[in-house]
Amino acid sequence: MIANRGEIALRINRACQELGVATVAIFSEADRDSMHVRQADEAFCVGPGPAARSYLNIPNIISTALVTHCDAVHPGYGFLAENARFAEICADHGLNFIGPRARVIALMGDKATAKRLAREAGAATTPGSDILASVDAAQAAATQIGYPIMLKATAGGGGRGMRIVEEESDLARAYAGATAEAEASFKDGRVYLEKLIVAPRHVEVQVLGDEYGAIMHLGERDCSVQKPSHQKLVEETPAPNLSDETRAKLHEMALRVSRHVDYTNAGTLEFLVAGDDVYFMEMNTRIQVEHPVTEMVYNIDLVKEQIRIAAGEPLGYVQSDLIARGHAIECRINAEDPENNFAPAAGGVTKLVFPGGPGIRVDTHLYAGATIPPYYDSMLAKIVAFGDTRSVAIARMERALRETQVEGIPTTIDVCLDILTRPEFQGGRYDIELLVREPLLARQTRQ
Amino acid sequence: MHSHDAYVGIGSNVGNRLSTIESALVQLAKLGDIVAVSSVYRTRPWGRTDQPWFANAVARLRTPRSPFALFRGLKDAERLLGREPGERWGPRVIDLDLLLYDDLDVDEAGLVVPHARMHERAFVLVPLAEIDARFDALRDALGAANLSGVELLAPAPIARAARAVGESETAMSDEVGTLGERIRSLAAVFADEEVVRAKIERPGSEIELRRSANRQRSSPDSGGRSGSSEPGRLDTIKADLVGIFHLSRPTPAQGESFESDRELGYIEALGIRTPVHSMGGGRLASIAASDGEPVEYGQPLFVMARG
Repeated sequence: MIANRGEIALRINRACQELGVATVAIFSEADRDSMHVRQADEAFCVGPGPAARSYLNIPNIISTALVTHCDAVHPGYGFLAENARFAEICADHGLNFIGPRARVIALMGDKATAKRLAREAGAATTPGSDILASVDAAQAAATQIGYPIMLKATAGGGGRGMRIVEEESDLARAYAGATAEAEASFKDGRVYLEKLIVAPRHVEVQVLGDEYGAIMHLGERDCSVQKPSHQKLVEETPAPNLSDETRAKLHEMALRVSRHVDYTNAGTLEFLVAGDDVYFMEMNTRIQVEHPVTEMVYNIDLVKEQIRIAAGEPLGYVQSDLIARGHAIECRINAEDPENNFAPAAGGVTKLVFPGGPGIRVDTHLYAGATIPPYYDSMLAKIVAFGDTRSVAIARMERALRETQVEGIPTTIDVCLDILTRPEFQGGRYDIELLVREPLLARQTRQ
Repeated sequence: MHSHDAYVGIGSNVGNRLSTIESALVQLAKLGDIVAVSSVYRTRPWGRTDQPWFANAVARLRTPRSPFALFRGLKDAERLLGREPGERWGPRVIDLDLLLYDDLDVDEAGLVVPHARMHERAFVLVPLAEIDARFDALRDALGAANLSGVELLAPAPIARAARAVGESETAMSDEVGTLGERIRSLAAVFADEEVVRAKIERPGSEIELRRSANRQRSSPDSGGRSGSSEPGRLDTIKADLVGIFHLSRPTPAQGESFESDRELGYIEALGIRTPVHSMGGGRLASIAASDGEPVEYGQPLFVMARG
């Protein structure tokens, strides 16, 4: 059973078809005409439009798997993919959850535990303090770690109770502000501090592990091109302008952390990279949106590998068999209005032309006449360009984006084109602040 | 004008078979009026057995077309639905066979009616007998071994409704995926003999079903109430969870009336039985789901006529 929707449901269905595995799709009432419903062998409605009552409706999803006699459940990404309880419930009902063991999902799902486990395995994490009892304790910790630092509320979220402190003279005032704000927002004024990594790069490492202890990495992906809300927009592999030492360190750390938790199936370890420093951030215990770039350079089908691993097959190859060739870039085409702070858009697609030709792959659930429901992720399509070199891949992506036409809703096509043509991107010298520093460069120069 | 009575066998064993069969029904509606459709059955492949399972159904058409014109229409519909010339007995996206045409007996120019060997094929006779009791004896003659290869896949409320529907008029759009469902839900509503006319309108398309006057009188169930032309208020009671649907005991009967709320059935999911109630008194116009079969969220289970 495919417990997801959109392009990833189609992606999983494709892998199943090639493996000769029959599929059952689930859908919400808002997705009745969706492509994944048409492509699966069977499809079951599990609830109304809002995700909480359909794609997150565990009883109806499990019941569907049981009445249709499914053997396994692929959760895709998002929704229930990193819900350890769901993985457990699947196992309780004799359903093979295609992903790591529930215990590992739970461990890595807790950010503090994940960082502790990473440190145990020898990976660096962002230097930080425990809960700060007083402003004096804050001063001592900040001096030890080195400025700039960031104060964070332990109960925090949404930026509340957070303060950036550039130098010691500002600390006392920031500490008072952060604790007061945290107290007001969360009724918990406790704060801690972390070293502020200024304009880092977001680089992540893909791993695969089988149930017999074999764990391999499939290189890294640079996902530093992010919207101001820190959602990824453009990803590429290999990461540009990374020293051989840093690249090797990333791969090594990813393998060490994965081995430390006996990781199985596909996973991704996210790191912040600042110069030659590499800090483990978190692990995503599922397939990622941007997995196709890795598939292109390694000539591998990661979703098929996930299914094979879950079926108890050994990987059947060793690290030295995995050789990357060429360069791949992915652009996310979202139903969003870039001129309105990337606000998600819903509605009907009146015209649709996707690119083709050498080295282009399009993963999408979209079709002309489709209606985008307002309830879900705004991603419409992933366009992937492959080339022998990075410059060939960039040129291909540019022409592919120019071929692409989506009418009826605003999209991120022009923003992606803008990014691709910036000198910082072309030179491979960019970090996660790229779109914060210069959000509208192309538009300004066009005028 | 629609003076001929034809039965068409529908089969598919590639891709989303249910959706293909729904699309095929939309194409069939262009060749005549669909007066009955069987449930959809999951059947073991015939001939070459190393291929995926088939979904099979039978539809009954009133058509103005000659046998050859209808045959050509079926072949055109197959092409339109993606059928490519392939080997005999091999996998196919869609198969539309003319099984019967009035009392005609013909074998020429590629057209054989009645369809050759249909009397020995469980995947034809099971759905056929469901919509026409004349074939019950033939089906039963096949024996358990043959019949075990045919299981119910998707029950079709339209089959029950069609016994009472004399004439249907359909206006079709190209939006095939949802159209089949709209036809089915219309048919479920139409199961109530008091409904004379029903219509679903949507931007760009509409479907209308109308009961003909003489049919209405001849329907044995409608009895003394045939003069009534005012439709009652109809409530469709839908599944609000996914599970296996069961009728409660004593089994409620179609046409049965009750004064107050009653448990009509229940849905069994994850070991828990959730009762389905009539939501007050009224007449049970239709039982739209099959006892012992899976139901999805929002699937019609019962149609109640109120007031």
